[in-house]
Parts: sequence; structure tokens; C-alpha cells
Amino acid sequence: MSHSENSHGSSAPPLKMGLAIPDSKLCMWLFLGTEIMFFTAFIGSYIVLRLGSPGWPSDPKDTHILVLAGGINTFVLILSSYLVVLSHEAMIEKNYRKAWNFMAGTMVLAFVFLGIKSVEYAGKFTHDIVPGHIAEDDEQALAKLVREFDSSRISLLNAIVPGDDDANKKASKLTTGPGEGEAAFDPGMVAAYQKLDKSYGELREAVRAEEIPLHVGVDHELNTLIMDRIEAMKTDEQISPYFHVHEPHPMVYGNVFASTYFLMTGFHAIHVVVGMILFGIVLLQGSKLDETWIDFIENSGLYWHFVDLVWIFLFPLLYIVDFG
Amino acid sequence: MENHEEHHHPPYKFIFMILIVCTGLSWIADVLKESFPGPAWLAVTVLAISTMKASCVMLYFMHLKFERHWKYVLLAPTFILAVGLPLALFPDVGVHYYDVDVPQNPIESRAAGNFHGEAAVEGHAAGTHH
Repeated sequence: MSHSENSHGSSAPPLKMGLAIPDSKLCMWLFLGTEIMFFTAFIGSYIVLRLGSPGWPSDPKDTHILVLAGGINTFVLILSSYLVVLSHEAMIEKNYRKAWNFMAGTMVLAFVFLGIKSVEYAGKFTHDIVPGHIAEDDEQALAKLVREFDSSRISLLNAIVPGDDDANKKASKLTTGPGEGEAAFDPGMVAAYQKLDKSYGELREAVRAEEIPLHVGVDHELNTLIMDRIEAMKTDEQISPYFHVHEPHPMVYGNVFASTYFLMTGFHAIHVVVGMILFGIVLLQGSKLDETWIDFIENSGLYWHFVDLVWIFLFPLLYIVDFG
Repeated sequence: MENHEEHHHPPYKFIFMILIVCTGLSWIADVLKESFPGPAWLAVTVLAISTMKASCVMLYFMHLKFERHWKYVLLAPTFILAVGLPLALFPDVGVHYYDVDVPQNPIESRAAGNFHGEAAVEGHAAGTHH
């Protein structure tokens, strides 16, 4: 039904419903409204959890939080937000080449942000600061140490003796020799396994008998007996590829710290990736970029400023504030 | 509906400089954290700086300063939920009169009649090993 039919031939302009902004912009703001609730739920819960926890790991040596990296990332996001508004301004001025260049700069900065974030994440993974993996006291740290020694021992055993047999059967094969039709075992690998197995056995017994405390000295220095044992395995060329044992550093309330850290920064990083997809769509237009893309760039910019806003609060809350 | 509203030209460069200065102030606050009278002062300072930065981004980069009244209608419910959720959780999770029964909270502190776990906090503050 056309407007003229609808208005019974009236010459009055058709009624226009809604707000004096583009539909797409209204939709973006509605979406950002849900996003605000999404992130404030995380951030609010984090603040409440942290205030309610009897303790919280705040020493950067424990948490591997890099304040400088967080600060640089804050600068990177602010600069990228600035470039987005400049890109939008250039679009309004019909200088599409300039707008494309600013958008490309934003994209580069988004990559820089994710690169720095990756370095931070790599540090966490190297030290096994991962939810559910963190020992919170000496007893848990020693149990984890023994468990990791054991799984390293089994990894090496599986490399020497392939097949589906259980570990005990495979270990006995090392002394009885390979079965019929099976390849001979590498004597160097067998010697490496025996070295690792012996070290594991001694460690397990010492921990069971509570003969080996995790820490010595007043500054909670790690027991040199444990560290020497780890070092000996890491420096053995044949053992090291299979040896995945972390230094046993207990961190009280470390798991709730890691859960909240990865939840908030992880979802934020996903939002950064989504923003990069939006910018990528614009950049793919190349010389075809024209005024029809003004709304898209404005809405992408609104989204990107929101990503920046979230980081503006995550930076102090995760990197600086110590609630005592 | 593709009618473009009136276009404003906020002082983007000036706002950008304010944001950079504020980021620098947050970093300086972290470097001087030992000089603050207590952790709460540091928290209030850096969160106040962040709020100022967020206001600049929302008002100028996101143009909320120049938008019409629809912004209040649209953002009020989200603001209420954003504030309401922490307030709702706070009495039980944030402050509680009872002892938190977790393995990290040593039983001795409870046996000594410490219902708020202060001893546990002190013990663990000293015991975050590395």
C-alpha cells in the first residue's frame, strides 16, 4: 500500500515515527545498553567478590600483572578511539581517503592492543596462572608438583612405548623388552625415563612422608631440593620436551583472581576482535568508500568507544587498585 | 529514517590530550601508591580519574553531550541495573558477619573466636608466596 493510498490523496507529508537519528544508530545504542549491563555485571561482581574475599593476590610477582603493559594498552585504545572520531569527521568532510587511512590506523592499534594482551596472557599460561590450576597452599602446591612429575613421566613413557597399554604394563616392557614385531626401544630414551621415574618416586615418597617442605628460609624461598630436581629434568635434552612441571608457587585466592581476570579481559578481547571485523569491513571497501558508509563508521565508532570505556575501568581495577 | 542530525565538532584533540594526561596520572598514582594514606585512597583516586576519562569519551567521542533526551530514556534502565546488581550482592558477598568456610581460611582463626577472618587475612597477606 503506497503512502498516497494510505493518506486518501491528502497532500500532507506522511507521518514519520521515531527519533531524529538513523535507525542504525538507535539500534547500536540499544545494543550498547545491553553491553553496559553485560560488563557492569562482571565488573560489579568482581568488585563485590574482591571486597568480600578475606584475601586477594595483589603482588605483581605472584599475579604476573604488568602495570606498564596495561598502561600502554590504555594509551593504545585511547589513541585508536581518537582516530575513529577523526575517521568519522573525514567521512563527513567527504575526504574518504583520509577516513580510510584513519581507520587503518585504528586497525593497527587494535592489533597492537591484542599483541600486548597476548604477551600478558603468555606470562600467565607459562606460570600456570589459570583458573582451577592454581595451588592455594603448600600442601596443594606439593601435590600438584608430584602430579605434574607423574604426567611428564607418563608422556615420556608413551613416547618410548607406543600403544594403548596402561603405564604399568609399558614400564614393565622397558625391562622385559619390546613384544614380538615391535621396534626396539631407544636406549637413551629408556635411560632418560629411568632418571625421571627415579626422581618422581623419590619426590612422591618425600612429599608423602612430609620430609620435604615447600619453602625454606624467612622469605618463603622455594626449597632448593625441589628446584634442583626440576632444573635437572629441564636441562636434560631427552626429558625436557616431555617435562611440563611448573615451579610450585602457591597463591592464596589465586583461582578466584584468575577466573575474574580471564573472564573480564577475555570478553573484552573478544569485543576488540568484533571491532576489528567492523573496521575490516570498512577497509575492504578501499576506494569504493563513499558517503553511504557514514552511518556504519559512526556506529562502529560508538561500539569502539564503548570497548575503550570498558578498558578505562578494567585498567585501574585489575592493575592498580588494592582493596587492602 | 536516514536524516542526519545536526553535526557538532567537539574539540577532539583537546579531549584526547585530557585522556592521555589522565592515563599518565593513573600510572603516577600506581608508582606513588606507597605514599597514599591507605589503599582506599588509591582506589578512590584512580577510579575518579577513570570516571573522568569515561565521561570525556561518552560526552564528546560518543556525542552524548549533543544528543537529545532519548539518551536518558535509553540509558537509565542500564544504569539502574549496573548499580543495582553490585548493591544487591554486596550485603551477602561483599560484607558478611559470618566466617567464610573455605580451605584457604585457616580453622585456627575460627577456633580463636575470630568471626570475620581478620587473622586469616593477615596470615595470608604474609603467606602469598613467590
